[in-house]
Amino acid sequence: MKGESDTMSEDGAARRDLTGTTGARPGAVGFLTDTTLCIGCKACEVACKQWNQLPMDDFGFTGHSYDNTSDLGATTWRHVAFIEQISEREGQRPAVLKPFQSNWLMMSDICKHCVNAGCLEACPTGAIIRTEFDTVVIQQDVCNGCGYCVPACPYGVPQFSPSDRKVHKCTLCFDRLQDGLEPACAKSCPTDSIQFGLIDELMEHARDRVDVLQDQGVEGAYIYGDRAVGGTGGMEGLNAFFILTAPPEVYNLPDQPELPQKKTFPASVTSVIAALALGTAAVFSLRRR
Amino acid sequence: MSMEYERKWEVRRGGGGRAPGGETPTTYYGIPAIHKPHWKWMIIFYFFFGGIAGASYVIASIAQLFGHPGDRRITRAGRYLSFAALIPSPILLILDLGRPERFLHMLRVLKLRSPMSVGSWGLTIFGAFSTLSALIQAADDGLFGRKTLLARILRAMPAHMIGAAGTVPAFFLGAYTGVLLAATAVPIWAKNALLLGPLAVASAMSSASAALALCLSLLRGTSHETLKRLERLDSITLVAELVLLTAARRNSGPVIGRPMNEGHLGRIYRFGVIGAGIGTPLALMAKSALLGRSSSRFVAALASVLTLAGGFMLRYLLVMTGRKSADDPEATFALTRARRERSEQA
Repeated sequence: MKGESDTMSEDGAARRDLTGTTGARPGAVGFLTDTTLCIGCKACEVACKQWNQLPMDDFGFTGHSYDNTSDLGATTWRHVAFIEQISEREGQRPAVLKPFQSNWLMMSDICKHCVNAGCLEACPTGAIIRTEFDTVVIQQDVCNGCGYCVPACPYGVPQFSPSDRKVHKCTLCFDRLQDGLEPACAKSCPTDSIQFGLIDELMEHARDRVDVLQDQGVEGAYIYGDRAVGGTGGMEGLNAFFILTAPPEVYNLPDQPELPQKKTFPASVTSVIAALALGTAAVFSLRRR
Repeated sequence: MSMEYERKWEVRRGGGGRAPGGETPTTYYGIPAIHKPHWKWMIIFYFFFGGIAGASYVIASIAQLFGHPGDRRITRAGRYLSFAALIPSPILLILDLGRPERFLHMLRVLKLRSPMSVGSWGLTIFGAFSTLSALIQAADDGLFGRKTLLARILRAMPAHMIGAAGTVPAFFLGAYTGVLLAATAVPIWAKNALLLGPLAVASAMSSASAALALCLSLLRGTSHETLKRLERLDSITLVAELVLLTAARRNSGPVIGRPMNEGHLGRIYRFGVIGAGIGTPLALMAKSALLGRSSSRFVAALASVLTLAGGFMLRYLLVMTGRKSADDPEATFALTRARRERSEQA
């Protein structure tokens, strides 16, 4: 197992400085999903489906470890990823299990409720709003299903639903928050891998937890969703952030995503230049002589 | 798709989620890291018609303001063509909505950072200009009678000024579709963010000049010089399109550029867009220019038809490579990893 842990510490994960800073607004609430506590029970997936009355997804076996959910989607707002860290020696099972998490990684993924959200900025109808809890919610009575928020999310969260032809994603249990309840997934999590609270407090807790983990020898532990990893490129952090122990891509997360709308202005500038150049070409081609 | 999954799964079994021997992780069972847009044919057709509507308005106005007096026909045909290509545009966009009956929600807000929002307003404003200019043209052509009130009102309008002012939303309509694709997380679009707007304008201009040349060559009495001038514009815009498109492919690199290099989209890129849509018309035009004699009407019409087909295939390529690129988690990670490497170098 030496090889495995060596690869781990050679990855960017171990070398990352722990900043733990976000641009979250005062009073913002969100999730800390500590994957080192996740046991892969999927209670969060079930609780989410029940509370939000979401229909069943494709029923079947994917063959991807214990993950038969695969992905976040219109009717799946929590998704537990399963990564079996099989030895790099040609798929052999490791002879010795690691003392920590026994070569299993499990992670409950969710909408990140970005501090600056790509979906919200893209939405042309104003259906996607930022709530008083600093969460990002799609107003279903306004959404007209244009689908532009779907490719505008760097994490692949919102999805077009073919059944009601609108886009859906996690609301961070907006209805429960309004009644002073914590979201269904956090409520149901038996190991407190999913913790709900004020971002400031959760972030402080996350920093302490990463320190403890690193003292215990989990050198790869880091926060995903601060300004250094995940919440990068103009997003200024994620209101649903994570403690991970492997590079983000292992969990199907991008390392340094960017707010897509950062491109709007520079792309408009080059378009104006092109329009001026081609307009001049047209004048040159058609002018009287 | 299922084949792809199996292959990725085998890689993962061998490398524990990492590329064999490499330090960088590959993907999570090959499952896409982002979601692709649902846009397909209706959006491809809209990009094509919207581009022609905007660019033919631009050409009509430029011909009117700066053009040869003999090129009145270009202005007239450009205004009608712009209006004709405009009509299907909002219809296609509304039908592509999940909830078409809520199309007016697009005009609830104006968000400058959302190209879709600005685009909805831009199309609305351009629609007014295009319709008005076409009506003025119709009044000039006597379609509303000579002495009717409507004809008099329309003829009294400052057609030159309206045409000049309308070039701004017209250019916007040609370009914003590229910016709209650029401002997403789709790797091949985001990577080429600065090139897509110019590519959309260039392709709109080449399609519109080819469409105008084709329409005018079918009309009797169009002077040879008029067609010659349109052909010159067509060739300049085709060269711009060629440069931008090949630049985008180079800029994409081996991983992100995969959809342009492989499979049926790769063939459409090489043979459809570059070969038939840009290369052949340019070669036909260059041949007549080099030989010093003008090409026959048939050859000129062939060049125009090929340019139009190439413009359509380019729109198809833009949309479909994006869909394929979004489905490729390696491309997504190549894009988001590159930013780390850049920031570490800096």
